[in-house]
Amino acid sequence: MKLMTLTLLAATTALTAAIGAPGWSATRATGDPLGLLPAAALGAGQDALPLDLASADDDDDHKYRNGARRERDDDDDDACEDEDGDDDDCADNARNAAPAGTVAPPLNGLFGNGALPKAQTN
Amino acid sequence: MKSLLATLALGTALTLPGLAMARPVTLSTTLNTYGGDGAYLVLYVTDASGAYAGSLWMAGGKSKYHEHLSDWYRATRGDTAQIDGITGASVGAGRTLEVTLDLADALFDAGYTLHIDAAVEDMRDSPNEVAVPLTTSGAGRAAKGRRYVAKFSYDM
Repeated sequence: MKLMTLTLLAATTALTAAIGAPGWSATRATGDPLGLLPAAALGAGQDALPLDLASADDDDDHKYRNGARRERDDDDDDACEDEDGDDDDCADNARNAAPAGTVAPPLNGLFGNGALPKAQTN
Repeated sequence: MKSLLATLALGTALTLPGLAMARPVTLSTTLNTYGGDGAYLVLYVTDASGAYAGSLWMAGGKSKYHEHLSDWYRATRGDTAQIDGITGASVGAGRTLEVTLDLADALFDAGYTLHIDAAVEDMRDSPNEVAVPLTTSGAGRAAKGRRYVAKFSYDM
């Protein structure tokens, strides 16, 4: 009975050591000799990043182009427009369907197994 | 020798019904000169009970505009899987779209109806622009649309 208890204790100790050792090493590496600030380990290396007090995104309402000021809408959806003024090239979250010829038609029972669909506009 | 003939006969017997179960059908849609941008069109089929059976062609690739094809959109919730592989460009005013599809024979003379929904940017949407029953006797007959489609016909 004693042998069994000792074995169980040894096993749990070994398991704890195996799990705890990497975490202990990480906190030691941050320069916290007592390991009192484990959260510092999570922020290690952030000093190397530049402090960003404001977003670099150009989200203001004005844009300068060729020295002239161009008014922009507040909702800033002009990013979707190309030179023609349409917004056909704007990326959309919805998935577009696969064009004809790239994949087989849907298996809806309407199509045979013959030639792929063909289309032309005159 | 007899076994070879039997094999060939069996192969032929199995192949012929497959060939006869579908045929190429050309769907022709001519638009009016309505004086607007290219039209989005969707061609789809309902069964004898009026339930959506499937799509045949989508003219217009941007899914964000498909909600304007309102009857089709209501039936499919805009599911793009319904139109994968059967989607092409929108159709300009006054132009004719010709689509050739390999369609199942079972679609004809069985109570199915072909519908076209149409939409044009900054103009009125036109659900059920065209509705024609799919029959072998109806092939080659032109049908007129309500707003944007000058004529539609199918040939087989």
